Amino acid sequence: MVLENLVLQENKKVFLLCNEAIVRGALEADVKVVAFYPGAPASEILDTFSEAAGSFDYRMEISTNEKVALEVCAGASFAGLRSLTAMKSVGTNVAADTLFTLGYTGVQGGLVMIIADDPHAHSSQTEQDGRFFAPASYIPMLEPATPQEAKDMTKKAFEISEKFRVPVIIRTVTRVNHQSGVVQLDRMERKPFARVKWVDVKQRFYTLGEIARQNKLKMLERTAALRAEFEQSNFNVVTEVGADVGIVTSSVSYLYVLEALKMLNQVSKVNLLKIGTSYPLPEKTVASFIQKLKKVIVVEELSPFLEKEVYVIAKKVKPDLEIFGKLSGVFSEAWEYNPNIVAKALASVLSLPSPQFEEFIDEARKLRTIIPDRFPTFCAGCPHRATFVALNQAFRIQKAKGKSHFFASDIGCYSMWVFPPIAEPDSSLCMGASVGLANGLSYSIEERPVAVVGDSTFYHAAIPAIIDAVHNGNKFTLIILDNSVTAMTGQQPNPSTTNLAAGKLGKQVSIESICRAIGLEFVETVDSYDVKNNVDVFSRALEFDGVAAVISRRECALYHDRNKRRKGEPIVPLRVDKEVCKRPYTCMRTFYCPAYELDEDRQPRISQELCDGCSVCAELCPLGSVKRKEAGP
Amino acid sequence: MSYNVFLCGVGGQGLVLLTSVIGSACAKSGLKAVTGEMYGLSQRSGSVFVHLRIGDDAYSPLIPYGSADVLLSLESIEALRYLEFLKKSGIILLNDRIVHPPIETSKLVTDRTANYVAIEEIVARLQSWPANIALIKALDLAKQAGNALTENSVFLGCLSAIKAFPVEENAIVESIVEAVPKKTVEQNLSAFKLGKKAAFDGLCKNVECRE
Repeated sequence: MVLENLVLQENKKVFLLCNEAIVRGALEADVKVVAFYPGAPASEILDTFSEAAGSFDYRMEISTNEKVALEVCAGASFAGLRSLTAMKSVGTNVAADTLFTLGYTGVQGGLVMIIADDPHAHSSQTEQDGRFFAPASYIPMLEPATPQEAKDMTKKAFEISEKFRVPVIIRTVTRVNHQSGVVQLDRMERKPFARVKWVDVKQRFYTLGEIARQNKLKMLERTAALRAEFEQSNFNVVTEVGADVGIVTSSVSYLYVLEALKMLNQVSKVNLLKIGTSYPLPEKTVASFIQKLKKVIVVEELSPFLEKEVYVIAKKVKPDLEIFGKLSGVFSEAWEYNPNIVAKALASVLSLPSPQFEEFIDEARKLRTIIPDRFPTFCAGCPHRATFVALNQAFRIQKAKGKSHFFASDIGCYSMWVFPPIAEPDSSLCMGASVGLANGLSYSIEERPVAVVGDSTFYHAAIPAIIDAVHNGNKFTLIILDNSVTAMTGQQPNPSTTNLAAGKLGKQVSIESICRAIGLEFVETVDSYDVKNNVDVFSRALEFDGVAAVISRRECALYHDRNKRRKGEPIVPLRVDKEVCKRPYTCMRTFYCPAYELDEDRQPRISQELCDGCSVCAELCPLGSVKRKEAGP
Repeated sequence: MSYNVFLCGVGGQGLVLLTSVIGSACAKSGLKAVTGEMYGLSQRSGSVFVHLRIGDDAYSPLIPYGSADVLLSLESIEALRYLEFLKKSGIILLNDRIVHPPIETSKLVTDRTANYVAIEEIVARLQSWPANIALIKALDLAKQAGNALTENSVFLGCLSAIKAFPVEENAIVESIVEAVPKKTVEQNLSAFKLGKKAAFDGLCKNVECRE
């Protein structure tokens, strides 16, 4: 359904997720090269481009990390082609080295970079505010609030990028990326893909020393020109009703402000400035807005990014302006907002009775005391669960020998080890950090460091730290969970298989070969489901005098089962034989599979809808009570 | 005025497609619609929800507390988790199915006096909000329609039974036909009709309904 909407030629209205609207905007702008590393809440941009690839002639890759993805786009841009990348908030940290330098070198073909922040850390390790990348790198930034605006801004961003020869950041937040709405499409006019001759478009893209110093001056001029351009931009919307109170806002907070004004019966009673071009900020627009006011309220999530700018501008043009926001204490820098939070803050500044919503929350909280939490967990059939069971047993064996460990987890589905009822790791930082930490820990603690990474994380950021370990003679255990896909973000392909984006085939890059080439002397590959064998392998890896790598391999269960269904192969679930089961609950205590529940006799029962027939629990049951089919009803 | 539907369930129940069917029906009918969707990390058997808002002055992708006209819950426990979004005397379309999370089961294993939360307790608490509840045996109805996977069409039927729900039935039906695999169209439409009747029967005493 989405694909049909995306390929439409005419100016129709369709219902799109913001991430899909971004893709449509890029397609309308005739984007030619796209590259991504997946990450929530931006992953659907990659997925949509992958799905639509058959209908268009752009070049696409899923890169090994965000830095490579940005460099792929920069390469295309240097050649004059339009390119786009999208990454989650923390992915920008990985790409930042390239980003900052592109600020100096500039680009040729339009280069658009989506930074998808995640206030509230819904699916991220931090709430980092990516807006600061823009002033830090002197790269312009637009902030959409709706799917329509996201499409329009993406399209416009390519023009800005080419006019000023600079990458353009489009900064979103989860509530924008994962917002759907009705979008008015524009006409799609695309030219056929054609390579260019470098000699025809040749320019200089380097920066160092004296050249960097000259580039810096150009960059400052460019920023001033962009600021002037943005003074005229339609993405900044001023609504003046002659009030002496005004609101400055951006992104999804703008939508919360509109909703809050409705709740407070204040529609058209305060002035509004909605900022779409957040960097460089159109200072004259802001100055002329605040000059007419006695009070201004700045509404933005996370850091006081706009608010501090308003202070600076007010000092010049309206020193007695009362400014309300995070610095005055009416808003918090923590967590995302919603219409109620914004309404309460606006009411306090406008001296209006605050709309009561706490009682709704309190009353609902009292009523829900009977329900359990529902944390995300490993799916039925997930190979990580089996690896985890074996690893825990190996840890127990070590403990009996008086040996303990530091367990460094990493980013991927296996991050869910931190949620109850499975809570084990000592640390989990960011992509690939577990291996870097293990190096430091091997200098610092008496116990054995154990680092875990997934396949995608291994390629993304773990390899330099493994080289570091071998070169420096550090000692730890490295467990590489290879489930063939980047599972957490929606089963995108990565170099652990031959699969590429858009169903194309490439070359597999062997994890074992990389480990051996680096010089690891202990590299063993196991089947994640083979728990009994794996306890032994992990035990040896924990005692090995050096870096020991165990590659625990088995396809992601969701991915595997989906492929099975597509091919029409049956998924045969297991059952508990009630006659045999004596309720030792070994399954529940060690395996925590979501397909398990207790029946009315408090005997384990396996949900026939959820079980994917992986059989690992059958192996673990000491009584042999878990069986296929033949067991009773 | 906007019409607000809060949809929730457990990861894997098809909330995204359900939302997309309603949204497309809105786009066809010239209605403005906006959603705030939460999935991703929560996909793995976690709790999932969608805020769906229809109307010209629906701006925020999140429904303000106490402002949802309908709470549509594909799983019973989840309805209680998000009750603060529902209006007093609002409508709850409640699937009578419970999916017990592993954390609840493991509690039963360690504490042999503990019990699973029962659907009767959940319904009683929801009623005290107060709310008008239609308890929908969606899986039974879906099976009756010939395909156990048509539960979501049952719920689209339920929504269409509510007179105040602003999307035309024809537009919803058209969107279902476009969204589901061709060979399941009839089963889905039959599930839609069964859902509509079930919601009518459950709600018509207290809520204005369409037959």
